[in-house]
Amino acid sequence: MGALPSRFLQPITNRSARAAARGEGISLTGVSKTYRGRGTEVEALRDLNLDCPEGSFTALIGPSGCGKSTALRISLGLESHDGGTVRVAGKTPAEATRSGLTGVAFQDAALLPWRSVRKNIALPLEVLRRDPRAHEEQIAGLIRLVGLDGYENALPGELSGGMRQRVAIARSLITAPQVLFLDEPFGALDQIRRRSMNVELQRIWLETGSTALLVTHGIDEAVFLADRVVVMHANPGRVVAVIDVPFERPRTPDLFSMPEFHRLADHIAEVLHGT
Amino acid sequence: MAHEASRAGMIRNVVVIVALWEIIGRLGLVAGGALPAPSGILLQLWADRADYPQHVLATVSGSGLGFLIGNVVAVLAGLIFVLMPATLRLLRGVNIAIFALPPIAIAPILNLTLSGMAPRVTLAALGVYFVTMSATVIGLSQYDTRSGDVVRAYGGGNWMVMRLVRLRGAVPDVLSGLRIAAPNAVLGAILAEFGGGGRWGLGSYLLGSLGRGDPFRLWGIGLVATVIAGLSYAVFAIISERVLGTTRSVTLNTAIPAPASALSPIGRLALACGAVLLPFVAWWAFVTFTGVPDMIAKTPLGVIDYLFVGDQSAIARQKLIAALAETLPVAFVGMVCGLGFAFLLAVLAQMSPAVIRAVMPIALFTQTMPLVALTPLLVLLVGRGYAVTMWITISVTFFPAFVLLVQGISRVPQSVLDLPRAYGATAWTEMRKVSIPAALPYLFAATRLTVPRALLGVMIAEWLATGTGLGNLLNQSRGYLDYGMIWTVASVSVLLSVAIYYAVLEVERATLKRLGMQMVE
Repeated sequence: MGALPSRFLQPITNRSARAAARGEGISLTGVSKTYRGRGTEVEALRDLNLDCPEGSFTALIGPSGCGKSTALRISLGLESHDGGTVRVAGKTPAEATRSGLTGVAFQDAALLPWRSVRKNIALPLEVLRRDPRAHEEQIAGLIRLVGLDGYENALPGELSGGMRQRVAIARSLITAPQVLFLDEPFGALDQIRRRSMNVELQRIWLETGSTALLVTHGIDEAVFLADRVVVMHANPGRVVAVIDVPFERPRTPDLFSMPEFHRLADHIAEVLHGT
Repeated sequence: MAHEASRAGMIRNVVVIVALWEIIGRLGLVAGGALPAPSGILLQLWADRADYPQHVLATVSGSGLGFLIGNVVAVLAGLIFVLMPATLRLLRGVNIAIFALPPIAIAPILNLTLSGMAPRVTLAALGVYFVTMSATVIGLSQYDTRSGDVVRAYGGGNWMVMRLVRLRGAVPDVLSGLRIAAPNAVLGAILAEFGGGGRWGLGSYLLGSLGRGDPFRLWGIGLVATVIAGLSYAVFAIISERVLGTTRSVTLNTAIPAPASALSPIGRLALACGAVLLPFVAWWAFVTFTGVPDMIAKTPLGVIDYLFVGDQSAIARQKLIAALAETLPVAFVGMVCGLGFAFLLAVLAQMSPAVIRAVMPIALFTQTMPLVALTPLLVLLVGRGYAVTMWITISVTFFPAFVLLVQGISRVPQSVLDLPRAYGATAWTEMRKVSIPAALPYLFAATRLTVPRALLGVMIAEWLATGTGLGNLLNQSRGYLDYGMIWTVASVSVLLSVAIYYAVLEVERATLKRLGMQMVE
């Protein structure tokens, strides 16, 4: 912890307030997106507003096809949008990604099958034209952080699903990103593995102090990890509610069984189902 | 252990076959001694040992140089086509024309217009270009879009995705392309030698020995040519085996392929016109730059003049139509049989790998055996009738289709196979639900690949054995120095291949679109 810059050690609320004033973090304003197929039009997003203050953890939750992944992909510049503005760390998505301010982990680990764990983690460095050899220590540190010591030179085909996903998490952190995008990173894992990964992710995120946007199906996961849960509805994709999560950090696994936790989760489920 | 046992089984099979062959040969049981005993062939090889080195050297250097040039051009072209899809559309006509060129029709033309080693190098290079180019495009196009997303999410552009994800991902496809291309190069070089009348080369040696009809020597030449082609295949098969294990993705990508970049109708029309015109421009340029007199080298207009305007045009048309009526039905039936056989065997091979190990050596042996060397032997065995044409056509279409299909099926990731297995599916159900649909794009690609080869097989058989159809017309025209007819047969056979190719392509496009699958270029 001693090596981390002091700003990471400030209380979260302070950081959030300061960042909000500067307008950093992630901000989507009035974003719309329509897919045009053969004779059909699907309005994926309509006037989407999403504000993630710097250093905050936001969970984006909603039914399948509500456009939550599309919002994330637009923020990364992987997809275009028809209207509105997108700012990531105060820059356009293309500028932010190109200057290495972002990190990303997708639902599928999407590891290159011919690269070892170490080389897969180094991939973003190569894309950003940085020298992977200068980051050997960070790579080793991240492998320890995600608990894959001894698997440095294993190929993805030799790892279990959970292990591959942890490689993807390590890869998303190798650039020491200011803004971290997580697209259902644990979607393919079982509940037990998922919970322990949630605890680990919180620990990792607290150490890095980055702004995080998590797209998820899981209410538990959203409540456990996030400062704020943003609920979306489909047809067209839009934000219907932003719900604050007041629990202290660091949160422990006990939280999963506390009545307050369940009250909040039930409330989110109601909003989600529109009852 | 199982692997060792099956290897022992394979060796046992080969020993049994050779022993049977020896007995049959010694007793002269087949076609009155047309199938000589292996010992006799080896003795003849030893007796001719002074002749072989220079013939082999000429063929190997010609095909090797052609293989190298053709593949370098092919891989670079594949890369450019994938990075700039408009160039693929523009050059589609040239690509398909090169692919559809029956080497046997082109060999006389190359020997008329080029000299020295150039015809055999050119024919070898033309033989490998399309296979390697399309394998490169397939490999580069069918990359894992999820890995591409990771690279793009860090601001990586098309080139970065190409460098980090697609190039390495394409390696198994390129290698399997090289594997098929290698025997093609040997066949191309031998065909050029065969029609060229040079002193050295196995093709020249074969031509010189045909008249004497000595089965021992013909088999000897055939075996040597087969060993050269087989070795070149084996080298890439071994490399590919080493590489494939680390390239297969662990999970199946379900992302729907992105639609092709939108192009204005005028742009599309311009590209289509360019694609149609470019092959003819290339033909024209080739004739002009080689500086061969008009009498011998015909331009596209020269062929139209010969076929529709000149004094002899009515006779020429009549001869051509009669030849086509003989060639086309055989080619069609042979192609269907070859494809069906390949599909059946690929399916069986997936269900029990022992089958693939038992069949592969035999398939390789007959397939790497260059057709020109194989045909005289088949004539010795089954005579000069319809059967020899069918055999050659089936065998020539079977091999590339089989390799492509086995590869398509073997690319299905493990986790996808595990799903039906988890529901207690039998090997057959698993095949039907997963492997066959996943291999469908490869089946179509194999069909397109097979069209010109079927035509080539029929024409070689007609030239060397049956004396009918297009192949015979080509051979006769060489004898009569009827240059107009040589160019006409060459261009008609290319146009026919292209036409059938497009027919298959249309069916493929409609089917795969309906299934939401990506086309294999």
